[in-house]
Amino acid sequence: MENLKIAATERSPEVDFDFEHGALSLRGESYPEDASTVFGPIFSALESFLATVGDREIRIDFDLTYFNSSSAKALMNMFQRLDHAAAAGARIKITWFFAPDDDTMKEFGEDFSEDLEHVAFNLIAIETAA
Amino acid sequence: MLAKYYRSFKNDLDQRGIIFSFSGYMSEGILYSLGAALRQKMALEDTNVGTVKKVFSVFVEQAQNIIRYSADKVGDRTSSELSSGMVTIGTEGGRFFIVCANVVLAVDEPKLRERLECLQKMDKDEIKAYYKEQLREAPEEQSRGATIGLIEIARRASEPIEFDFDRISDETFFFCMKVSI
Repeated sequence: MENLKIAATERSPEVDFDFEHGALSLRGESYPEDASTVFGPIFSALESFLATVGDREIRIDFDLTYFNSSSAKALMNMFQRLDHAAAAGARIKITWFFAPDDDTMKEFGEDFSEDLEHVAFNLIAIETAA
Repeated sequence: MLAKYYRSFKNDLDQRGIIFSFSGYMSEGILYSLGAALRQKMALEDTNVGTVKKVFSVFVEQAQNIIRYSADKVGDRTSSELSSGMVTIGTEGGRFFIVCANVVLAVDEPKLRERLECLQKMDKDEIKAYYKEQLREAPEEQSRGATIGLIEIARRASEPIEFDFDRISDETFFFCMKVSI
């Protein structure tokens, strides 16, 4: 299927879903008033992709520096869908990047990972976080 | 007279430690611009990175609550609606404070009061657990976001949030909330 590439805007993250290589990433900030306008197209592409993956290996990177509460709900929803796909056999590796001095983003990574049972979830502190 | 009047108005704001105060129609564009100015101002003053993030987050959630819930609106909901309200940010006693205010319908007041009183009684761990619980819930009916915005605000606050309602008419209240960081 076609890759999904969306440039970052002032209030939405850069989306780079390379479905061909199973390498997906979300980068930047997300605080639209209505999260569904930003996450709607991301979800529909992800759904279509996950329906085809079988037991493939998929890497998905989150390099976010700030998001609002409605984006947090959308992200939780995304993690639950990824976990379902992993339960069905896909080998999904999620990496959550955060700046070493950013306790908020670290805590969000920990919160999100707590419920996930089937994906591999890594929290990584990097100096160069966007 | 003109300069005297507005100088006195400005002095009054300055004496209250106000960095900026916005009153009027709030939009996503205004939110973005005020937010950018706020972050720049705090960065210039070498504010701790964690504090900048907390203040910014509370500002965004408060401004988006005004956009969503203010009962003082013009235009129609689908296309070009504008919501009126007020956001004030300042410092007092070495802390940042963020105040938001907007008109709410009297029928919505009891529910909002109940939610805020519930959050006021919670400690940090309870707020965190409540946030995680709400993260998994579907958004409530009639809410374009979710009550999770209020929980996010309470989570970033250094003290329990303060709020108040002042009756305007049988149908409306002036609602105000203050958060310290």
